[in-house]
Amino acid sequence: MISKQPAHHRLLLNALVNPASLVEYDTVKWELLLRLARKVKLLARLAMDLKNRALLDQIPPRAANLLQSSLIQAERLQQITHWELNRVSWALKDTDIPVLALKGVAYSLAGLPESTGRVYVDLDIMVPKHRLSDAETALTKKGWTNHHKLSAYDEHYYRAWAHEIPPLVHAERETEVDIHHTLSPPTSRLKINTERLFEAAVAARNSGYRILCPSDMVLHCAVNLFENNELADDLRDLLDIHDLLLFFSRNEPDFWKKLKERANQLNLGRSLFYGVYFSRLIFKTSIPENLENDLNEKPNLLARWVMHQLVPHALFPLHPDKHSRQALIARSLLYLRSHWIRMPIHLLLPHLAYKTYLSIFPRKA
Amino acid sequence: MGTVGVTVGQIPFGQFFSSLSNQGLRVKMGPFNVQIGMTCAMLAERLYRLYANYELAECDLAEFHVQIGPVRLLKKPFSPHARFLLDGRSPFPPFPTGQALAALEWGINLAIAARINHLLLFHSAVVERNGHAVLFPAWPGSGKTTLCTALVHRGYRLFSDEFGLMDPHHGIFFPIPRLMPLKNESIRAIRDYLPEVMLGPEILNTHKGTIAHVPPPKESIARSSETAKAGWIVFPRWVSGAALRLEPLPDAEAFLLLASNSFNYEVLGEKSFQAAAGLIKSCRCYKLTYSDFDSAIDAMNALTDDI
Repeated sequence: MISKQPAHHRLLLNALVNPASLVEYDTVKWELLLRLARKVKLLARLAMDLKNRALLDQIPPRAANLLQSSLIQAERLQQITHWELNRVSWALKDTDIPVLALKGVAYSLAGLPESTGRVYVDLDIMVPKHRLSDAETALTKKGWTNHHKLSAYDEHYYRAWAHEIPPLVHAERETEVDIHHTLSPPTSRLKINTERLFEAAVAARNSGYRILCPSDMVLHCAVNLFENNELADDLRDLLDIHDLLLFFSRNEPDFWKKLKERANQLNLGRSLFYGVYFSRLIFKTSIPENLENDLNEKPNLLARWVMHQLVPHALFPLHPDKHSRQALIARSLLYLRSHWIRMPIHLLLPHLAYKTYLSIFPRKA
Repeated sequence: MGTVGVTVGQIPFGQFFSSLSNQGLRVKMGPFNVQIGMTCAMLAERLYRLYANYELAECDLAEFHVQIGPVRLLKKPFSPHARFLLDGRSPFPPFPTGQALAALEWGINLAIAARINHLLLFHSAVVERNGHAVLFPAWPGSGKTTLCTALVHRGYRLFSDEFGLMDPHHGIFFPIPRLMPLKNESIRAIRDYLPEVMLGPEILNTHKGTIAHVPPPKESIARSSETAKAGWIVFPRWVSGAALRLEPLPDAEAFLLLASNSFNYEVLGEKSFQAAAGLIKSCRCYKLTYSDFDSAIDAMNALTDDI
């Protein structure tokens, strides 16, 4: 793949893995890099990497200003998401509903250093499925409402087929709260035993909040990327996997062994396989060579070959001025794949037909 | 005064249009460079006239990449529509092609407001006289653009009719002279008061009613690298038939009005609180009620002569 890697992929990747080299970029390279990084929500990440190395004043000032701007915005979003978690915990404190913080806010609670430069817009939490309506009721009583006016179809989509309920937002604030009850849609082929996730959950350092244990956090990230998403412009999520793997392997004893065993225990070997495979392929993450060998449910060789051809074209942003045909086809195929694995065919075809209809005749806002 | 590069008016229309429709035309707008793409000749002709004094920024990094492109709406297949794209994405719905100029200007404002946080962005008109900036923060229905248009044709230098761009650490304001969109009855008022001023075409039925653009004076664009500190903050209000009144405003009230007229006050957090507090301390703050331009300009002249 490396030999065929488009130049703009290399430009962005080099910035992420070797930020110190950015002081040599000229304004033409910088302009393209800024557009690419913005597209995949990694502008603040680059800003953080340069700021930590005290290099922001050694790059073109216009680039430095845009990077500073994105970092300031990321910090603000982090602040309000943490505050929303604070408020949600307050609203649920008199219930005995177990709550886990997920995704960006959880990476920050886990102490992941790279989370400083990560943009997260929504608050994602998880509660046990049988307590879902209790949590929703408690929050609704204290001022949260449905964020969007949902059509009956969308409401049904969430309630019957999704792994989360329609997002809530507090009347006085803007942060969307996504309440999950499992890690992937109930209609998908993955049947995740969520009780085990709650049993293994850990307290986040000095915060009073609970988060997934390290292995589960990595698995959730991989499941979300390779089972729930369409992969388009999701390079940030693969970078999360890379960051989490490095962080936990440095700080958790026996991390690799635990990760492998946990993936097999939860039947998430396939997602972890892809997470490990692409993290190593793209970011050269140092992961034990034989990690995949012991995973159950590894994808077969054909599936691996197809994914190897398609996934990088989706994860990396399109070139802003010339969209390659190859990348567009790869993205369409992965879009179909994402639906295919999330829904059985008797649900999928009517759903796609309805979405096509909506794209031609949008409902009045 | 810095050296001014090639301006739009110094290149032939053919070259201007070819840039717009191929690689994109790169224009300096105050502290930012904007790359604009479009294939519509009618819009390009309007822009060529209104952008004549803008400096080209061919060799420097552009912060914003915008495009106006045709779009066919399935529901209205025979009425020509266009959309505004910022880095390939439309932040607002398509519009009739005749409104493209207003959409382009509005879209660029939106891009600045959404992406810029290294500066504190006040929602305010800003002009300069005697080396110091005057802020006219937006006050709903205040007609800040109209007053600003009148002032910049009577000796004031235009910074912006929309953005007070402030470096929060040093209290310095950056000019960003852009087309000034007059709305509805303001168009008549300015045509009457400043008959010599060139206005863009009247654009009907936008979400803000009828709009006509006034290009910034040539000198304001040529001097757009010259920054200034603020000396006065004036909250204007146009009241039909009212006698002119210029009353001092208590600092606390001015602070609240200023802070609530900012695009990114909350994003910058404590930094913007400190910056706004410092700004209020270093400025004299007033409330201006006026009904005719002459007396308002006289009052502003008297105020800004007293440095």
